[in-house]
Amino acid sequence: MILQRGVKLEQQKSASLRHKIKNLPVPEDIEEPNPLPPRKGKLDASGIIAAAEAAGIVDEFDGTALDKKLRRLRRLKPDMLVACCFDEDPCTTSAMATLRENTHAMIAGLVLAARACGAAENKIAVATSREARVIQKINPQADLILAGERYPARVLLKRKLYASGKNAAYVGAQALLALTAAVDENEPQSFTVVTVAGDGVEHWRNLRVRIGTPLKFLLDACEASEKTKVVITGSSVTGKAVTDLSEPVTAATRCVIALRKPLRNKTYPCIGCEKCERACPRGIVPWKVLREIQSASPDPVRMLNVQKCIGCSACAVACPSGIDLRAAISKAAAYKKSGDFD
Amino acid sequence: MTLNEARAPFVKSEASVASMMRDVLFALAMLLILPAVHYGPRPLVMAGVTMLACAVCEIAFSLIQTKSISLSDGSSLVTGMMITMLMPLNAPLWLPCAASAFAILVAKMPFGSIGHTPFNPAASGVAFAVLCWPKEMFSYFDPAAAQTIPPYQDFTAVLARSPAAVLKSGLKPGILPLDMLWGVFPGPLGTTGILVICACGLFLFLKRTARWEITVSFLAVAVLIAAFFPRIACDPLTSVKYELMSGSLLFCSVFMVTDPVTAPHRIPGRIFYGAFGGFLVMMFRRFGAFEQGAVFAVIIANAAAPQIDSLLLGALRLGDEPYDE
Repeated sequence: MILQRGVKLEQQKSASLRHKIKNLPVPEDIEEPNPLPPRKGKLDASGIIAAAEAAGIVDEFDGTALDKKLRRLRRLKPDMLVACCFDEDPCTTSAMATLRENTHAMIAGLVLAARACGAAENKIAVATSREARVIQKINPQADLILAGERYPARVLLKRKLYASGKNAAYVGAQALLALTAAVDENEPQSFTVVTVAGDGVEHWRNLRVRIGTPLKFLLDACEASEKTKVVITGSSVTGKAVTDLSEPVTAATRCVIALRKPLRNKTYPCIGCEKCERACPRGIVPWKVLREIQSASPDPVRMLNVQKCIGCSACAVACPSGIDLRAAISKAAAYKKSGDFD
Repeated sequence: MTLNEARAPFVKSEASVASMMRDVLFALAMLLILPAVHYGPRPLVMAGVTMLACAVCEIAFSLIQTKSISLSDGSSLVTGMMITMLMPLNAPLWLPCAASAFAILVAKMPFGSIGHTPFNPAASGVAFAVLCWPKEMFSYFDPAAAQTIPPYQDFTAVLARSPAAVLKSGLKPGILPLDMLWGVFPGPLGTTGILVICACGLFLFLKRTARWEITVSFLAVAVLIAAFFPRIACDPLTSVKYELMSGSLLFCSVFMVTDPVTAPHRIPGRIFYGAFGGFLVMMFRRFGAFEQGAVFAVIIANAAAPQIDSLLLGALRLGDEPYDE
């Protein structure tokens, strides 16, 4: 394929992958979670979903509850279930590290989830062939596919599989591990793996932390510098900046990035380089939408596909002029949806 | 520590407007090496003075408009550099400065600076200079004659006819092809180093700063016209060789028509635009009054670019399969 979608970003993953996942001590004021009641009945599809519901598992990639997701998937009947064991955003390595250290449990969780939603195939998606070789060494039976390193890898993989006629569903790595623990050991989801990185911290590490731990504990464990100006959680591309470090870690916190200086915000007018169009995984033409929404009388017919935007910000990342294209697209989508055109 | 608010995205790809302009500036600076080695410091002085003139004009216009001065994108320096490349080395130094003043004050800033220019500013500046001072623009000194070139004073040089002028009069240029590749022949300053231009083009295409489709279709059409309708009595390959290597055709195909601001935005549109530009260049060479009209071809192709964009494709996006959850 000549036209490769997505943006190539500097990955910066080796620093945090070099070390094993470190267990962070649980802060004293957080209570132990109650163990689940022993599972009754057979381990069929509804049994697995019930276990996921009782354990309160949340998929870290989209923040939805795993039991709701599995129920929905059971209705949709996907051909293939894919475990997202890659981190599409730079600096974050929590899913990769989790897969490296818990390959067997990950496969068990994937088989359980596939049984719950009735998918015939299940595969583990990793970023690169190098990563795949590492995993193959740990467990030769692991059934791997490559997602690539271009951002947003998850949607691009979806595109690739869809083009080859596969209707695939995607589950996060942490959620699958928690599912294995819930079914085998009746444990609720109480821990998650978080990557702490950025130029504001001394050590880039993956930490296994109790859900509910304040962010301050994580930054202290990695020796955050006093010069840190911005802390981002969730994703290093689309996450949100936090100003209060007593905010707790949730199941959807995949990374905590501490930066010494915020990104430059110098913007230029659009120069028509089309990098945004090539970056978009959903077939939107952001520069054209931007021009349309900025014109005196925007024409909704010319804003093609804007309702398909998934907010991955790939266009804004790729834009050399530094224009916030994602905001323009969502504005256009809102305008198109409002039906109030004059 | 006190934390600040910030807005997504927190990561940027490496390419920015400034870095793209830096790439072009670097490629253009490479073109200065061969002339500087052959003829001493005058090419460097000329480039410096022209870039300074562009920067001063931009600052002055910003002050008149009471806008903030933004030179950080480097686009005015690129304009200055390109104008230098299209000047003969023996031109007086005020000539590139006048072209720069026109480029910045008339063709660039009134339209709203970078991103909004309908015509390539450098091409407009050079076209202005060609129309006003054709004698100075088309008199090239003879590299073969032994003469010292002062760094900045005006001087009367031993003149020679450039291959483009020889072709225009229907004769075959008497220059060895190897000399043409290395740029030892009379012609505009930066357009004679054919090998260096090719290397710079490759660099820009690989860095994805310029788009290769335009250059390829531009050159393809020029080659076809040169091969099938040669201006001089010779076999097609000789005609192609001399047409491509003389004048500013190759330079314009790599640096000027590929400017993303003035080019169409779609691949079919860009291919058509390049072909149109190549056709125009050959027509200017054959029927035009001047020995070379690449800058005029660029300007007319620029004018057609928005029409090409809307005619060829409209809002359609070809090659994108319908895709849903």
